[in-house]
Amino acid sequence: MATNSIKLLTGNSHPNLARKVADRLGIDLTKVLVVQYSNQETSVTIGESVRDEDVFIIQSAAPGEVNDGLMELLIMINACKTASARRITAVIPNFPYARQDKKDKSRAPISAKLIANMLQTAGCNHVITMDLHASQIQGFFNVPVDNLYAEPSMLRYIRENFDYRNAVIVSPDAGGAKRATAIADRLDLNFALIHKERSRPNEVSRMVLVGDVQDKLAILVDDMADTCGTLVKAAQTLKKHGAQEVVAIVTHGILSGSAIESINKSELGRIVVTNTVPHGEKKKRCPKLHTIDIAPTLAEACRRTHNGESVSFLFSHAPT
Amino acid sequence: MRRVKIFSGTSHPGLTEAICERLGTTPGKCDLKKFSNGETSVDIGCSIRDQDVFIVQSGSAKANDSIMELLILISACRGGSANKITAVMPYFPYSKQSKKKSHRGAITARMLANLLTVAGVDHVITVDLHASQMQGFFTKPVDNLYAEPLLARWIRHNVPNWRDSVVVSKNPGGTKRVTQLADVLKLNFALITTDRRRREEEDADQIPGSEKMITLVGEVRRKTVLIVDDMIDRAGSWISAAEHVKLRGGAKKVICIATHGVFGGNCLKEMEDCSCIDQIVVTNSFPIPEDKRRGVKKLVTIDLSQLLSEAIRRNHHGKFIIH
Repeated sequence: MATNSIKLLTGNSHPNLARKVADRLGIDLTKVLVVQYSNQETSVTIGESVRDEDVFIIQSAAPGEVNDGLMELLIMINACKTASARRITAVIPNFPYARQDKKDKSRAPISAKLIANMLQTAGCNHVITMDLHASQIQGFFNVPVDNLYAEPSMLRYIRENFDYRNAVIVSPDAGGAKRATAIADRLDLNFALIHKERSRPNEVSRMVLVGDVQDKLAILVDDMADTCGTLVKAAQTLKKHGAQEVVAIVTHGILSGSAIESINKSELGRIVVTNTVPHGEKKKRCPKLHTIDIAPTLAEACRRTHNGESVSFLFSHAPT
Repeated sequence: MRRVKIFSGTSHPGLTEAICERLGTTPGKCDLKKFSNGETSVDIGCSIRDQDVFIVQSGSAKANDSIMELLILISACRGGSANKITAVMPYFPYSKQSKKKSHRGAITARMLANLLTVAGVDHVITVDLHASQMQGFFTKPVDNLYAEPLLARWIRHNVPNWRDSVVVSKNPGGTKRVTQLADVLKLNFALITTDRRRREEEDADQIPGSEKMITLVGEVRRKTVLIVDDMIDRAGSWISAAEHVKLRGGAKKVICIATHGVFGGNCLKEMEDCSCIDQIVVTNSFPIPEDKRRGVKKLVTIDLSQLLSEAIRRNHHGKFIIH
């Protein structure tokens, strides 16, 4: 019998996170069989009834298999829709294609908008995501989007793990200044900014530091660490300007390509990421990599969405 | 052709070039690559404002990547103010998932149709959809071309004594498709059915030998058998059908004919190794990688570029399409 309870589903991209969320909610994951046929097409079978239930599907974008993860998610949403679910919420901690969100060249696709349209077409009624690259992406959807912040969890991590009174919050580029200042304000710290000066295209860019980091702990804050080129260069610049130690704290640690190698070789003392993206064995290869668990935030968001409570509490507080 | 740009996805550049050559043009410049995090990036290198854009993309071994690439290409063309965007998909991915097979299964083919519409496609050209009802999934016009005349022509030219051959469907679901080819060639027709229910019972009794539950309806003795279906994906059913008509039915020669040679996994190798199959005939709607093709002597591919280029030309000039 339909009870309109939470049904939590997950694809193959980040089962660990889904299990953690399920544990927090005190429920079992719904059985789903997601397989690839020999011709690489994805097939989804949902193992139990979801008729008239409140369905949450957790799927992140694992580096290297973004498109497969996305198709899995779309097919799972569609399968739930055809199976008469009452409401389908896609929980996408790391929104794929979030950086292709503007027409920055002639004829460049706005892929983030395309993804938004695709999710709605598949039958998604609600989206929960975290630290969107640009909040404007929320406007690409015609369905409600809850953009959660990793900031409260990050703040707690900084308070518990760093001697933060002697720290400076640094943004590695101008675009992230707002995010960094927000954290600096909350911790009542000073703020610095690194500006990339590009004299000519394809030339090694010069980094200019605005602000003072002398003998301080420099905390680099960004929303995404992909190949880590910027972070590594920023760390160099900060050391050159007399920073005592440089650490980075980043929401989405995609860490693709040779990121791990460049971090190991770099001046960065520590890189802290959340578990929005699966890391697998990367942690073993990189002793500098630390993780913040954001499953409690996601679980709380799911619970509140299901019960129709306000989610705004989570914008400023991290559930323990 | 003026004011037309043809772009190729990464799945089947060879086919695009063949199409362009027939139309006397070259593929439009576009740069397709993947970022290190696995996201697809598209960069269209020439103006498409107010032009008719055709994007050729088939399936590939990386099915989902091909789909995303196509969707992003379409969306980029839409954003770049193209006049009309046509997706040319010789093989329509996920076409087998066109119905709710199990409880709570997804109708992925319909979803894909919707995704194409959402990305901004105006028209879709495809070849031999798994079920022609799938045209109803689209809200935009679909041209479902038939490879059947090409297959029939190949049979007339390449099969000795083709008048003395029998067209066989390897499962009852494909019968309609197969009878059409038989009608065109004015050939006799036979049907193989596989009783799944009986197979389960036999499994329980641990009796080997799978021929028992296969039933052949029709006469194939001392004839050339053309086993026809719309795609070759897995080898199992083809091999058991070929073995059945040859060993039990006494057929002289077995030719497997399909429009789409998807050849998942080791399928092509298994069919090559099967002594009951004499020839495998497919069109080039689906790219067959070189390493799979190596050492395979039975495989024949029929070129579709003429059919597709004619469809593109007629579409652009607004002429009707004869199937």
